[in-house]
Amino acid sequence: MTDPRSDPFWALRQPITPVDPDPAFAAELRSRLEAALLAPEGTPMTTAVETQHTLGSYIAVNDARSALDFYQRAFGARRRGEPIVMADGRIGHAELAIGDSVLMLADEYAEIGLLSPRTRGGPSQSLYLRVGAPDAVDATVLDAVEAGARLERAAADYGYGRNAVVVDPSGHRWMIASSPTETPTSRHGDLAYLTHAVADTARARAFYGAVLGWTFRPGRVADGWQIEGTSPPAGMHGGAATPGIEPVYQVDDLAAALTTVRDHGGQASEPQLQPYGRIAECIDDQGAHFQLLQP
Amino acid sequence: MRPDPALGLLDIYDTALPKVHGYLLSRCRDRTLAQDLTAETFLAAVTAARKQPTPPITTGWLVGVARHKLADHWRRAEREQRGLRLVHAAVGESDDPWDVEIDAVAAHQVLDALGPHHRAALTLRYLDGLPVAQVAEHLGRTVHATEALLVRARAAFRVAYRVPDEDPEALR
Repeated sequence: MTDPRSDPFWALRQPITPVDPDPAFAAELRSRLEAALLAPEGTPMTTAVETQHTLGSYIAVNDARSALDFYQRAFGARRRGEPIVMADGRIGHAELAIGDSVLMLADEYAEIGLLSPRTRGGPSQSLYLRVGAPDAVDATVLDAVEAGARLERAAADYGYGRNAVVVDPSGHRWMIASSPTETPTSRHGDLAYLTHAVADTARARAFYGAVLGWTFRPGRVADGWQIEGTSPPAGMHGGAATPGIEPVYQVDDLAAALTTVRDHGGQASEPQLQPYGRIAECIDDQGAHFQLLQP
Repeated sequence: MRPDPALGLLDIYDTALPKVHGYLLSRCRDRTLAQDLTAETFLAAVTAARKQPTPPITTGWLVGVARHKLADHWRRAEREQRGLRLVHAAVGESDDPWDVEIDAVAAHQVLDALGPHHRAALTLRYLDGLPVAQVAEHLGRTVHATEALLVRARAAFRVAYRVPDEDPEALR
């Protein structure tokens, strides 16, 4: 790829501009949303999901009641239990859940040196909040600023992701960052799938169920079976004259791979379009069968 | 027992709706489709909000749900059109440096005209600014296949794009 800074395609970058939909649509969707929320889900309401991690933050704020409100509006925090109100009216302890984490907070206790960054004259730390995709950073910053935060550093892309810095009403410095990217698990040359060709699938299922504990569910073709939960995924089909196991390898470019197969003395069928990708049957130059898949 | 985290969706509905809708409308540029995908986004969010670990119920998270809905839409459209597309001659795969300033308005018309797979790749990569690995995740492809797709999408874009007020032949 070319240098991202000089790539003219970056002119396409388009931040989110809010657009109100038709009010009738908005009202109807709200009703549908309410109905979906009230519909019995079959499962009980979610139990505790956020947890105290090994390291957590317990911050001092200037006005805990409005801070609780601010964090809910800015960062989608959820109340976690009732705040503990001390005899003098200050909040001595309150908890919020943000994503899978717990944020603890309390009003200032100057008598034991617990002051907010605003009172103290500036933060000595940043709170690091991961929000997902890069433009979730922009959207979270918008929410936070609307809720009363001050934008300290606008969202920008860095080598490690997109981030921005806002300062909340108590002076806490929040770094809003995109989540690290996930590396996909399969790539060119990987074994993507195994097909077990057997004569009698009922016997084979009984045999491998006993030996390996495999369980099966019916596949998309007659007498085809998916083997559940193996890695790589695998399936079985019946009616084979010669029992055998056929590997399916993943390739980036099926057409090019099939040409290479033929150039090196192998045989290759025409690619078939399947719901999971394009696949072709091949035989190597010594007669072994395999398949190539471009997802 | 904790309250249903999905209820947070109602609290942010009024502020999130224009942003989710604005995101989708600017990417698909089709009012009806944008409304359909907006509704799909919020209804899917009810289920997603109840998953563990609970996601942060924010506008940003909803835009992420919307992006997956948009990518799914283009993947469906691509599957439907794939048979047709194979008939077309493949565009070149040249990815030479391209020294031009892309005009945003003209660019969006070009994007509208591209095949769904090319449009999806360019939108996620350039309009949304996603890293290639995340584009790959949204499109259900490997990083290698996505890089190849992006090269083809850029080539298709260049073929279709005409700098305004310039002789189209000058770009050849």
